[in-house]
Amino acid sequence: MMSQVSVIIATRNRSSMLRRAVESVRHANCNAEILIVDDASEDQTQQVGTSFSDVHYIRAKRRLGLGAARNIGVIASVSPYISFLDDDDQRLPGSLDAQVKLLEEQPEAGMIYGRALYGDDQGLTQGSYYPEHCRHGDLFWDLLRWNFIPCPTVVFRRECLTRVGLLEEEAPGVEDWDLWVRIAELYSVIAIDKAVAIWRQGTPGSGQFTSRETKLHREAHRLHVNKWLRLPRAITAGTAQRRKISRDFAACASRQLVWTAASRLKAGRMLESARVAFAGARMYPLSMSRNILSLSTLRSLSSSLETYWR
Amino acid sequence: MTKVSLIIPTFNRPHLLPRAVESAQRAGREVEVIVVDDASSDGTASVCASLQAIKYLRVDRNQGVAGARNVGLLESSGDFIAFLDDDDMRLPGSLDYQVSLLMAQPDAGFIAGGVMLADQNCVPTGEVAIPRGPSGDLFWEVLELRVHLIPGSVVIRKECFFEVGIFNRRLAGIDDWDMCTRIAEVRPILVDAEPVCIYRVASPDSGQGSSALGRQMRSAVRHQERLFSLPRVQEATPAQRRLVRQNTRRRVADTLSWRAAHEFPRGAFRFAASNFSIALQLSPFWAARPNHLRVLWRSASTQLLSRSKNLASPTTPVG
Repeated sequence: MMSQVSVIIATRNRSSMLRRAVESVRHANCNAEILIVDDASEDQTQQVGTSFSDVHYIRAKRRLGLGAARNIGVIASVSPYISFLDDDDQRLPGSLDAQVKLLEEQPEAGMIYGRALYGDDQGLTQGSYYPEHCRHGDLFWDLLRWNFIPCPTVVFRRECLTRVGLLEEEAPGVEDWDLWVRIAELYSVIAIDKAVAIWRQGTPGSGQFTSRETKLHREAHRLHVNKWLRLPRAITAGTAQRRKISRDFAACASRQLVWTAASRLKAGRMLESARVAFAGARMYPLSMSRNILSLSTLRSLSSSLETYWR
Repeated sequence: MTKVSLIIPTFNRPHLLPRAVESAQRAGREVEVIVVDDASSDGTASVCASLQAIKYLRVDRNQGVAGARNVGLLESSGDFIAFLDDDDMRLPGSLDYQVSLLMAQPDAGFIAGGVMLADQNCVPTGEVAIPRGPSGDLFWEVLELRVHLIPGSVVIRKECFFEVGIFNRRLAGIDDWDMCTRIAEVRPILVDAEPVCIYRVASPDSGQGSSALGRQMRSAVRHQERLFSLPRVQEATPAQRRLVRQNTRRRVADTLSWRAAHEFPRGAFRFAASNFSIALQLSPFWAARPNHLRVLWRSASTQLLSRSKNLASPTTPVG
């Protein structure tokens, strides 16, 4: 019997967490094809990957990056539905079954997403989830403002990739957002109002985290200007709509950046905070300054400065 | 199962496509022909509907040739993958022949065959381009652009894409070279002189991808710097890297300048000028070799001779 859904787990040097991710997929769907794409790991990933009997283990000989590894998984998979799972995330029991059933009932929808529970370093949840409210329908313009779709919660049709092309490989960190935008341009999106995955959050304690965050913003900004706003649907919508969307995009991104900068400041990391603020000001000078000068931010800034000097 | 998937990316060429598809179906006994229509805006869809026994995929947002090849890969089910451009042709039985050779060498990544060069109507001119070099580890040769590879003449084992990734969408026109280089880095390759496909050689005004030869070669030279991050190049000595860079520049400059000298007397002034200026930038010494002057002279004299013949008998149709 052909499997219903292919779950692609791209992994690199995280052999300790891989087993947990695979087990979670087994419980999420009785009939899933699991593909592990090992992006040239240097640890025990190969032993772990080949130890499963029902898992398709693929090893890339050269380090390729997340987008390219996922593309390899997509090409090796055979099922009509596809889902991506990161090696440190988990699927909740029965979630894939429910999502695939909904997608089968609505043939005009291209993809389905759901809520993700935030997980800590160990992958344990504290009960908070994202997004608060799952919008559905035509999400093209919403997705041009902000990415509110957690990657591990998505199941999409294979035929979507045939129509819009495979994942972008040279957009590290935002390749999933780019794919959602391109699918939402042609298909409607549905959502399930339930938590379907556990989404492990990175540790903000390390300096690497902030540099990654600003890099993500820079990539998203580049794609927004050079690619998304040049999609046929955005072009036909007219200049006024495009201008409005890029204003909204800048507002969302700069709010996020100001928030990051403030939280860095509160943690006593002056330099990182300044770096984030500077990167934001370079991308969105207007909305960044508007955000920093807004009353609530000033208040939180002054309080964090107080704690800093104390 | 030893099925071959043959992927034909096409864009706005409905008049040429049926010829390519037919030749592909005759190229092997068990061939899955996949036509990827890269968001064509003309009658490609209706032409494909009339073609028998093909898998037709339509991409709604133009992906470029490399992106279309990737989409074809997505729907392919064969163990071996071959590619064919929509204006080229495969020779009968050629796929079966290449696959049998490739199956005899389980570690080889891909097999490259000979190419019959043809004019704009796909009529062979009699010239055959044979990939140079014995089989085996040809990484440095491929990296230096020393092996003549045309996508239509290559059959690739599907596992290779899992090992080194798929086509790079950003590299229009040189994506196949980039792919072959990455495969040749990790696996030995097979080279066979037997001609397997007919290649429509681009003329400066035919609007094909390689009509802009100069720009394509320059982007290849630029992309080579990025390929230098491959582990095997990193392990090489700096002197070796310098040599690779130098050889490539010289070879590219030589080719471009030769083409410029060849096309200049035929009236393709802009093509010749751009090719020659790019050649000069890459390697001034090799761009201005006396050999090219000789080519220029010979091409000009044959051109003049044929023109005077045409003047003498204006009623004869020019074939």
